[in-house]
Amino acid sequence: MRQSNIGWLFLAPATLILFVVGFIPFIYILYVGFFDWNTNALDPTLRWAGLQNYRNLVFDTTFLNSLARTLVFAFIVVISELLLGYVLARALMADRLWGRQFFRTIHTLPIVVAPIAVGATWRLLCVPGFGIVPYYLKLWFGIDYNISTNAYHAFGTAIIMDLWHWTPFVTLSLMAGLTALPKEPLEQAQIDGGNKLQIFWYVIVPMLKPVLLTTVFIRLMDALRSVDEIWMLTKGGPAEATRFIGLHIWINVFPKTDYGYGAAMSLLTLYVTIVLSWLLFVAMTGRKGGAQ
Amino acid sequence: MNNFAKAVGVGFVSLGLWSSTALAQDSWWKTAAEPYQGATIRGISESTPASKYVEQVLGPKFTEETGIKVEFEATSWDQMYDKAIKDMEANTGIYDFVYIEQDIVYTYLARHFLVDITKSLADNAKIASPDFKPENFTTFLNYFKDPKSGNVMGVPMEAFIKPYLYRKDLFEDPAIQKAYKDATGADLKPATTHEEYTQIAQFFTQYGADKELWGTTVQASSSHPAAFYEFFESVAPTFGVYNWGIDGTTFAATEANGGQMNSAAAKKALNYWVDLLKYAPPESTSSTWDEVAGTFAAGRAAQGLVYGENAAWIATDESKSTVVGKVGVALPPVEAGVMEAAASGKGYIGYYDGGAFGIPHSSKNKDASLLFLQYIGQASVQTNWALAGSRIVMNSTYDDPKIVEQDKKMNGYYTLMRDDGKLFAGAPPYPFHSQVLQVVAPFIYKAIVGEIKPDDALDQAAAAAEAELVKLGYRK
Repeated sequence: MRQSNIGWLFLAPATLILFVVGFIPFIYILYVGFFDWNTNALDPTLRWAGLQNYRNLVFDTTFLNSLARTLVFAFIVVISELLLGYVLARALMADRLWGRQFFRTIHTLPIVVAPIAVGATWRLLCVPGFGIVPYYLKLWFGIDYNISTNAYHAFGTAIIMDLWHWTPFVTLSLMAGLTALPKEPLEQAQIDGGNKLQIFWYVIVPMLKPVLLTTVFIRLMDALRSVDEIWMLTKGGPAEATRFIGLHIWINVFPKTDYGYGAAMSLLTLYVTIVLSWLLFVAMTGRKGGAQ
Repeated sequence: MNNFAKAVGVGFVSLGLWSSTALAQDSWWKTAAEPYQGATIRGISESTPASKYVEQVLGPKFTEETGIKVEFEATSWDQMYDKAIKDMEANTGIYDFVYIEQDIVYTYLARHFLVDITKSLADNAKIASPDFKPENFTTFLNYFKDPKSGNVMGVPMEAFIKPYLYRKDLFEDPAIQKAYKDATGADLKPATTHEEYTQIAQFFTQYGADKELWGTTVQASSSHPAAFYEFFESVAPTFGVYNWGIDGTTFAATEANGGQMNSAAAKKALNYWVDLLKYAPPESTSSTWDEVAGTFAAGRAAQGLVYGENAAWIATDESKSTVVGKVGVALPPVEAGVMEAAASGKGYIGYYDGGAFGIPHSSKNKDASLLFLQYIGQASVQTNWALAGSRIVMNSTYDDPKIVEQDKKMNGYYTLMRDDGKLFAGAPPYPFHSQVLQVVAPFIYKAIVGEIKPDDALDQAAAAAEAELVKLGYRK
């Protein structure tokens, strides 16, 4: 009993901070979501709207498109980063690789660059008329690459930028996981005659699951709330081609000062994220939560 | 000898008077600032040539004279609004003075963000500088007065028009003139109508196909409000569509309800503007006001509508511009009848932009900030500021010999601004500025990238604007 009290005592500061910066804002957003509140309206006070904000969201094609776009983006980048990250992790672990330490260092550099700087750099590379990417794509391949008029170019560039920035994180995580794997099961599988694919799928993947799960959750949640990089690269354009949900919420809450609607959007997005994470958890572990 | 002695005597007396006046002025700022010694005031503004002058010259000079430190943040337009509005809404008091662009002042006034400068100075005469005289300012000051009391709420720091810039060297080149005549049958001169403008743009795009030269700039970022502004504040008015096409009394936007946003004139304007992209450099669809100035300064466009704040450096600064001495200035091209409407005060032909510094209620150093705002509102600091930022907010600045000299290098931009500034106008007095912008702009972006036709874009934009105005409670 005494031990338990001491445990709570140690947890108290963190719990208090979480309560202040996490729980109270959450309750406030929940509360605001039930109101029509725009400080630039003729009546700038909070006006009770009940569930109207949520009802409007269901029919708001801009919001729904934005959410769908974000899910597609997140799906592509997380899967691609996992695959690329695994390949790179194995490559950087190989003893035969010349200059391995050097590549490890270079490869991890993007992680330490601030997202806003990543977005700005990629914009400079890709800006039509001046960027070296459109220049050489035109010169070498005759491709008219333009992220400010072509939705596919912009979306594709956003994906590549995210891969460049975050694949090293996945690589590092998987390298840590792979390094920590016990050698006995792998050797046993080889002795039993398992081929490389079988060993990977039936031995490595199950043992790597905790690392994979953590990495996927971190990357998924990051990808679902991408704002600053995209803002710098395309500002959500051309038109709304890269207006991901985080950016859409930001535009509604800040420049548009539509706090009630913005709060409802945030909550619905949070709900989608939780459901998606839960589904992923179930899919990857086979467990369905506390009942088991 | 007597004359020489007299002359020396007069010289000494003059020197004495001058130095005593100077000392008296110095001592006034010092004396007034004594209670605020060691204080630090923080300001935020958009990064413009005029703002950079405040950051690099006026701020340090003020600190030197008063002992009040000025921390000034010159950032992007988006960040400036984001930070300033959040600070004022949350009443955190991070900023002691903020940039108020002419088009946002009505929102700030409606939300009671700003300190009444006239009243504050009247209440505390000790910090009211004798050199700060609101009557010295041009009528641009009126935009920053409280409509009810007439009191000053912001001190103008920059004001400019958005003129039509063209490459004088190209337009006056006999070989090019002949080629243009052969191609079009018309004489090459700055356009006065939209048809002429398009024709010139088309000609120079063909002429410059192997020279990295295009016919026109277009401020048509497909994801930045700059596109909205260029269309509604610079292009639509030249087609006779004013105030964003929104009726100022009923707040109707659709033509069916009495608005103009999707009128035939507005649609003609958007078609014309989007069509110009064919004759604009590839960066145009990602260009805001800064990139348009950069494009023109890089010699990549033969003509364009360029914000006047950039006119000085484009025309005179060889370290940044490749077209020094080659810039012509004129009024924007208009539809028939629009110039006459503007001259009679019933319309306007473009945007009279600018901004002021105001003090938020949330400021924790209001008196020190009031001193700073008066300091930058003295007539004596205006000339060098204008030379650096091609902005004029006081009538006396126009006549300064240095400005007259610069005006010649700019092909008469200041003369145009003084004589024809009345043909331009600021943004409409809408307290819902940002809300309608955010609703309408995506349709303009879609028209730019060809996702929807310009006519459909304006139909949808007008309906969306009206719906938003109903939601906000302005339109019944």
